[in-house]
Amino acid sequence: MTATAPTPDSATAPEAALGTGSPAGARKAPRTSATKPRHRRVGFWLRLLPFAILVVLAVLGPWLAPMDPERVVGPSSSAPDGEFWFGTDANGMDVLSRVLAAFRLDVTIAIAVTALTTVLAIVIGLVAGMYDSHRGPLGWAARLLGRLIDLVQAIPVMIAGLVVVSFFGRNSLVISLALAVVLVPFSARLMRTEVGVVKHAGYLDAGRLSGESELRILVRRVLPNSLLPVIENTSAIFGMAIIFCAALGFLGVGVPVPTAEWGSMLATGAPDAAVGRWWGVLFPSLALGYAVWSASTLISAFDRDKG
Amino acid sequence: MSTTDHVVEAAPADPDAGATDAGTDAESTAPRRRSAPSLRWLVRPVATAVGNMLAFVVISFLLVQLIPGDPVVTATGGRLQGDALEAARASYGLDGSVWDQFLTYLGQLAHLDLGESIASGRPVIEDFATRIPATLELITTGLFFACIVTVLLSHFVVTHPSNPVSRVLSAYARSAGALPEYVLGIAFLFVFYAVLGWAPAPSGRLDPLLIAPDDVTGFPVLDALIAGDTAAASSYVSHLVLPVIVMVVAHTPILMKSLVLGLQGAIDDPSTRFRIAAGAPRRVVLLSIYRRALPQAVAMLGMMFGLFLGGAVVLEALFGLGGLGQYAVDAVNNSDIFALRSFLLVAAALCLAIYLVVEIVIALLDPRRRTGKAA
Repeated sequence: MTATAPTPDSATAPEAALGTGSPAGARKAPRTSATKPRHRRVGFWLRLLPFAILVVLAVLGPWLAPMDPERVVGPSSSAPDGEFWFGTDANGMDVLSRVLAAFRLDVTIAIAVTALTTVLAIVIGLVAGMYDSHRGPLGWAARLLGRLIDLVQAIPVMIAGLVVVSFFGRNSLVISLALAVVLVPFSARLMRTEVGVVKHAGYLDAGRLSGESELRILVRRVLPNSLLPVIENTSAIFGMAIIFCAALGFLGVGVPVPTAEWGSMLATGAPDAAVGRWWGVLFPSLALGYAVWSASTLISAFDRDKG
Repeated sequence: MSTTDHVVEAAPADPDAGATDAGTDAESTAPRRRSAPSLRWLVRPVATAVGNMLAFVVISFLLVQLIPGDPVVTATGGRLQGDALEAARASYGLDGSVWDQFLTYLGQLAHLDLGESIASGRPVIEDFATRIPATLELITTGLFFACIVTVLLSHFVVTHPSNPVSRVLSAYARSAGALPEYVLGIAFLFVFYAVLGWAPAPSGRLDPLLIAPDDVTGFPVLDALIAGDTAAASSYVSHLVLPVIVMVVAHTPILMKSLVLGLQGAIDDPSTRFRIAAGAPRRVVLLSIYRRALPQAVAMLGMMFGLFLGGAVVLEALFGLGGLGQYAVDAVNNSDIFALRSFLLVAAALCLAIYLVVEIVIALLDPRRRTGKAA
């Protein structure tokens, strides 16, 4: 089993194919090709810029909104003009204000999901990858974890998210937790595969022989050597979090209206779009696309160094 | 290298040695024995699929148990009190200890009884019987056309690597997953329905003026053709065109990315170089390249089914197609927990069945994978 083959078994699952997804082999190359340190190159900073703007918008968005995003401020479905730059939606709320205000909610959820998913995936991947052939309780736990992530991945993210969120409540905490649980397998499988390769390395035996504890080996030897694919995958996780969070909102399972959220804005705008009023859906879609793109650009900035 | 590979290497080459060891010795027996014993490699994937399904039964049961508050109270909006509430709880198998409830649940499932919808009072299984075929029709059509488009585009990219068109196509493949179905769906609806007026209105499968044909197979287009009702059939098809195009456009990049990768890997394979060096005709070389890339592509298809199923939920809600997905969305709006639990189970069963089929097909295509890891 090669780490790069796109079988369902290696972690290149379809939804994980979203980000940069560079082959694991590339990272084995020594980091020599960069002529300048990365922070000296203009391209590096340029690639950080979109995500930085995204974060700034997430912080400032609700304050930049020219009108109250949760109030009816004008006639319903009026086209963009001098007063309402992005027009108003079917409820008569200002689209520009809602798009801006939604940055905070959507980006916060996506960042929370990404952080939680990555941490969980690292822990699960470490345990499942290192000890799945062990005997005793540790081996059992490792195999159980491995089974669990396979099980979770067997069901489509959209469906699991829909059911879990509708069971446990439509708030941002439940949405974040549900999406994190559903997205964990994508990263955990990457981690498990990497750990599975690293665990046969000679330096682990060397560490054991020199009397290092198992925990120290796990944290100081295995972790740094198997971490990179999971870190690279964060952009894909972030993108999926944005997309699925909005999908839940679109289906009416997200954070309830009138709170501004891109997915529920799309749901409000869809009937309008079907009669030719494009402004209610175009702007939230652009915001959504920008958020996904900025995260993948961020990761590719660090990617470049690998030569 | 996972542990199962090591087991395979260590497995005895003697075909009669490991009769109890269903999975591991199939590789050595398969080439020699074409008769019954060579089917032993099937045991493991089937057992895994059944085990996973049982796990989903437990998970779906526990999920409902974990819901804060009383699901019956939530679903009925607190209208039921006292004895009526107790009776309602009993009718949904929610009385007694957790263990009793679980046994009740298992008993119901054994009789294919998925309970009754809290909202409509109808048995959930009846609703599913009409909605699953409609959804499967959407998914299989989408998958079919996505495969055709993927193969055509990937073939072009691989055989004309420096062509500017294939550069554009590669960039499209790299965009994999960045365009969610709902954004594409709304965009297409705007262009093809609102502006151009080519597509029918996004409400239902059949024009309101037409009468639905008799229910024979449950697949709308098929039923209309059986009834000889061409007007209904073409109405069904025309309502399916736009959602299918959206599916194809949204998911082709992912399939393409993996097929191009697989084909490129197969082209770099020494055996391809050997064929070219040996002077095999171009057609033979291409065939062998595809043959080599096929198992990976099929594996991808299994994963795609899950993705399409999730996408169908969104597309059915957007286009009002009235399939399984729309049923789930309606159930969410009605807080219909039992319908949703059954939806989760049915979705899991569909996916696990497809994964099993895929695994078996891969094993048939590539005997080396027969001992392989469970999906």
